[in-house]
Amino acid sequence: MSDDKPSLEVRNLVKHFPIHGGLLQRQTGTVRAVDGVTFSIRRGETLGVVGESGCGKSTVGKTVLKLLEPTAGEILLDGVDVTDFSPGQMWSHRRQIQTVFQDPYSSMNPRMRAGDIVGEPLENFGLARGKAKDEQVASLFQRVGLRPENMRKFTHEFSGGQRQRLGIAKALAVNPEVIVADEPVSALDVSVQAQVLNLLIDLQEEYKLAYLFISHDLGVMRHISHRIAVMYLGRVVELTDKRTLFTRPLHPYTEALLSAAPVPDPARKRARRIILPGDVPSPAKPPSGCHFHTRCPYAIAECKTVDPKLLEVAPGHQVACIRRPVGTDFAPLTPTQ
Amino acid sequence: MSILQVRDLHTQFFTQDGVVRAVDGVSFDLDQGETLAIVGESGCGKSVTAMSILRLIQAETGRIVSGSIKFEGRELTTLTEEQMRGIRGHDISMIFQEPMTSLNPVLTIGTQIAENVVRHLGVSWQEGLNRAQEMLELVKISDAKRRLDEYPHQLSGGMRQRVMIAMALACRPKLLIADEPTTALDVTIQAQILDLMLELKEKIDAAIVMITHDLGVVAETAQRVVVMYAGRKVEEATVGELFAHPMHPYTRGLMRAIPRLDIDAEAEGRRARLQEIPGMVPVLTQPIPGCAFAPRCPFATEKCTAERPPLVENRPGHIAACWHTDRVLEQAA
Amino acid sequence: MAAVTDAAVPRAPSLLAKTGTAIRRNPTIFFGGAILLILVALAALAPWITGDPLKLTPSQRLRPPSERWWFGTDQYGRDVFARTIHGARVSLVVGLSVAAFASVIGLTLGLLCGYFRKVDAIVMRVMDGIMSIPSILLAIALITLTRPGLGIVLVAIVIPEVPRVVRLTRSVVLSIRSQPYIESAISGGTRGAKLLIRHILPNTMAPLIVQATYVCASAMLVEAGLSFLGAGVPPEIPSWGNIISQGRAFFQIAPWSILIPGAFLTLTVLAVNLLGDGLRDRLDPRLSRRM
Repeated sequence: MSDDKPSLEVRNLVKHFPIHGGLLQRQTGTVRAVDGVTFSIRRGETLGVVGESGCGKSTVGKTVLKLLEPTAGEILLDGVDVTDFSPGQMWSHRRQIQTVFQDPYSSMNPRMRAGDIVGEPLENFGLARGKAKDEQVASLFQRVGLRPENMRKFTHEFSGGQRQRLGIAKALAVNPEVIVADEPVSALDVSVQAQVLNLLIDLQEEYKLAYLFISHDLGVMRHISHRIAVMYLGRVVELTDKRTLFTRPLHPYTEALLSAAPVPDPARKRARRIILPGDVPSPAKPPSGCHFHTRCPYAIAECKTVDPKLLEVAPGHQVACIRRPVGTDFAPLTPTQ
Repeated sequence: MSILQVRDLHTQFFTQDGVVRAVDGVSFDLDQGETLAIVGESGCGKSVTAMSILRLIQAETGRIVSGSIKFEGRELTTLTEEQMRGIRGHDISMIFQEPMTSLNPVLTIGTQIAENVVRHLGVSWQEGLNRAQEMLELVKISDAKRRLDEYPHQLSGGMRQRVMIAMALACRPKLLIADEPTTALDVTIQAQILDLMLELKEKIDAAIVMITHDLGVVAETAQRVVVMYAGRKVEEATVGELFAHPMHPYTRGLMRAIPRLDIDAEAEGRRARLQEIPGMVPVLTQPIPGCAFAPRCPFATEKCTAERPPLVENRPGHIAACWHTDRVLEQAA
Repeated sequence: MAAVTDAAVPRAPSLLAKTGTAIRRNPTIFFGGAILLILVALAALAPWITGDPLKLTPSQRLRPPSERWWFGTDQYGRDVFARTIHGARVSLVVGLSVAAFASVIGLTLGLLCGYFRKVDAIVMRVMDGIMSIPSILLAIALITLTRPGLGIVLVAIVIPEVPRVVRLTRSVVLSIRSQPYIESAISGGTRGAKLLIRHILPNTMAPLIVQATYVCASAMLVEAGLSFLGAGVPPEIPSWGNIISQGRAFFQIAPWSILIPGAFLTLTVLAVNLLGDGLRDRLDPRLSRRM
């Protein structure tokens, strides 16, 4: 982590999806999937992005990969602004940023052999061909814990955990700097999940990879991340190192999220369990002001009108909440309802 | 008093690849008002056990081969389909993982709940609707009267799961089977639903079988736990006992493999490795003579692969199927 | 290093056992395919196994089926057996070529439509236009404008079939494009024609093959209909449609000259549809998934 330039930097990223409706398919609304997100990741670091469905975490991943065109904001890959790159221009930078997908069943072409899937990026970027390619693929297979003999098999012949290993091998093939991992273990059983998480940690340390790790699972987050960004309805509401986040969360949403997750320890009675009322509002019609005010136990009148900015309220601790101003103490808030 | 007794249940599926022994000799009891969790990973047979109790195994693909399921002393495995229909949704009801697929999209919520009430309790339609509204209020759906006329797609995921619970409880069942009731939900919504289920349990006094893969959910809801692996029960104990002294190597492995959000696993700034369980779940089409976990078990000996370990009560109320519990406990101490 | 884990190695059953299992699992493919194969063999060998379908034997007019005339004779004393077997050639050629041409054209257009949004808007409107014209009328119009012949019949039948294939291919391509493995391939640096040919095309094949069988069956029926109306292949080429048409006036006294080619047409279309249904169950994992 000596290199000061971040591997991936995102500034004020916005991604809106138009909603079409009516007979003429006119645009009738906008889904604000990502609504101004800023973060950076250094070499060898994992930034976790956590949030519930519809919070925009996956959209952040896809936009950063330029699989979706950003509506506004900047994406800097190793210092290069790739935001407005055409697919052709982006292509030469794809080597730097690779991805591991959630669903090991649909993220691989069912009609291709495992070795061809892993070797395809090598071929695409002209890194290796023929025998040299096969050798590299074989060593990648070994590196992720698969037998090279299985290169000729089709993906449906592999188990879920093995497919996820294949996906990791493919991402590693071109020696990327950044890997975007979108829920890479949530489709796996616990015992297999541990294998894959360990592999990801080993590879990060070996190759100094930067991970953008997207997950809804707080346990996985605490395990793999260095810093964590909590998202709610398209915005980052809190971003800090993981120890601080889990021990002294400042944003009311983070606090509720942490208290809501079931803990596998019946002896541990949690001091206070915050049950948030209602559902997450639709990102097509987010509430005014702070998006969280409709469910927040500490909301005050201003929360409905003031858009909270993500501010560094304590060293290395960014929070977007008007009740947690700069220089805040970490004392619990008093509920307003 | 025990309300449900499952004895040596064997459920098998007949596939192109051979006979799948999905449930391979499972026994357990459930007391009135008790919550029993059946926990295990995918393919361990926990859902098939639930489906077997309700006799919902599709006859074209599989069936209960042997064993007995007694509900309030009545043998369920030999009942006719007609008799089973009288029990399902009345004495025993079920909550599924994905509420959208278990609700009929073209009928209103009110109609779906009322129909079930009218069919089983023989009351008038109006009374059925009244009961439906009462149930929606019970599961804390605001504006229940208006919601009766809404369709499933108009509700959020959490709401739909509340409706499923309302429907399941409408006929005052004595046994409720919940198959991964919160798995498809977000964390904050999961907390709402678990909270609701715990609260309702006090009110309705039904016994609950909670099927889940999530040890966190087990710890928060259940009184007793059955751990399943490869179609077999490998361990059973009360919740506190199981988490404090896991005796089967599989249970222990599972507990250590979970990344914990309540424990700081970092040592000197380095992330700790999780304890892996090597290998994967065995193929259930081949008969497994010994312990099904042996190929992945750090304690395994030759005996383990040759002979199936019996379930033994090693501590009061705590049974496990392992030849080496003494060594496991010794290592834990 | 993480533990090495492997997929289970399946046993290799004998070829005979495999065939037996294959028939049991896909009886429709087997029977549909077998009937079609027999028909293709008969049609291909027609000149050697039958007499001249155009030879007139005035002394033998309207003879019922017998040892000499297996399927009887028509009002000109032509051998209905020879005519029916030769007629199979027309039906099969029309069915197979229409299926092939419509598939290739439809696949190309469908791929382009699914892949390039601008092409899509234009091509799909044209397809909607074609689909709004009754296909038989379009065919009759085309044929009356030109000299009758097998070629123009093919063109006339292919045109109305193309939009169906385009629509199918386009919708399949659109659904494949949103699959994670396409995003995964793009992230891995796959682009342009390679993305289309390696990742999208192979995955459109299964539904396309199934659709091709339905196009084939439908083309045979349309051809028979056109020939029956006198707008199909010229009368000197025997086709099931014009055999039935010519036998119409003598149905009361010589029903065999209609019923036999009619039965062949029905059997052929049935076989093709059986094959299609079987292939659909086999190739579409959503429909054929079993425990």
